[in-house]
Amino acid sequence: MRVDVVHNVTKLNDAMAQQIRETLREKRIFCLNLISSPGSGKTTILERTLDHLRDELRCAVIVGDLATSIDAYRMAEYAPTIQINTDGGCHLDAAMVSTALESLKLDELDVLFIENVGNLVCPVGFDLGQDVKVGILSVTEGEDKVAKYPRIWREASIVLLNKIDLAPFVFFNRTKFYADLEQVNALLPVIEMSATKGDGVSRFCDWILREREDRLAIRR
Amino acid sequence: MHEVSLAEQLIGPVLAAAAQYGGERVTAVTVRAGALQQIVPGSLALAFEAVALGTLAEGATLTVETVPVTARCRRCDAEFEVEAFCFLCPTCGVADVATLTGNELLLASLELEPCESTSSTTSPS
Ligand SMILES: Nc1nc2c(ncn2[C@@H]2O[C@H](COP(=O)(O)OP(=O)(O)OP(=O)(O)O)[C@@H](O)[C@H]2O)c(=O)[nH]1
Ligand SMILES: [Mg+2]
Ligand SMILES: [Zn+2]
Repeated sequence: MRVDVVHNVTKLNDAMAQQIRETLREKRIFCLNLISSPGSGKTTILERTLDHLRDELRCAVIVGDLATSIDAYRMAEYAPTIQINTDGGCHLDAAMVSTALESLKLDELDVLFIENVGNLVCPVGFDLGQDVKVGILSVTEGEDKVAKYPRIWREASIVLLNKIDLAPFVFFNRTKFYADLEQVNALLPVIEMSATKGDGVSRFCDWILREREDRLAIRR
Repeated sequence: MHEVSLAEQLIGPVLAAAAQYGGERVTAVTVRAGALQQIVPGSLALAFEAVALGTLAEGATLTVETVPVTARCRRCDAEFEVEAFCFLCPTCGVADVATLTGNELLLASLELEPCESTSSTTSPS
């Protein structure tokens, strides 16, 4: 006996993400979901960004990690940080974020950063209730990752091209990178960044401030 | 590992549907997945086999139907199939296009063995 079901597999997660989105909206918190391969520089970028925003916005971080608290320790120096261990799971889901939110003082918060588990594929399919996805690519991974993993560049609202200080050493093909991005998502803004040297961090912070203002204005 | 987490998400709805339709056993599962999901069908089938062990869906074969990526141009309204992930309107060339299909992940259909066909066994706990 054949039965047609047509059931959206991500339905449960989507519903929970929508709840998170509404909570954050009510509290006027702007939420960014950072997605990249392992080691692209998410934590380093966040350390620099949190430091830079310190006097302007009240920030907090939720960080997903397969098993350790290494990243959480690094960022706790700059902002309240909640660690989620996924026990080997390759992405964060809305239920995990929802639980983590219970440990944050939402009334004292302007911006919430979520550092997803290092992975360029799985996290993209899981809505966490964020306002924007931030796609990060480091030059050491190669420019071909734009064409190879298109979905993140479709869904991101901005790309941070990190480790730009290393571009000459790894023969990063900028022309190809921008040409491929032109095909996948020509409207996507790119910030070239060196998180270790600090280049591009203030541009990213300006973007966050602007984007947050825009979203809050629309919500009103 | 992408496929493992998808399989884990699939098994719940599969078993729920089987229960709803009063099936004794699930023998086949069809999934409809957008090409942007970049699912490797063989890996998903294998992962599903693993999560289905010890359930009504143990031994069910899983088939993935890939849904092509399509988009609509926000300027000229043309609808087109996106080839090689090139999201530029073939009619007017602009990049301001909305993805229509290609992101979905649906449990599409099940093949069930109805209860009455088995006579001897009582349901295992
Ligand atoms: N040269 C250079 N190295 C960088 C830059 N940004 C980060 N790194 C280095 O890259 C390595 C990984 O950085 P992380 O910030 O831990 O990367 P991540 O994306 O958080 O890694 P996971 O959380 O494990 O996925 C560290 O050794 C950083 O010092 C950069 O702009 N330039
Ligand atoms: Mg990290
Ligand atoms: Zn057009």
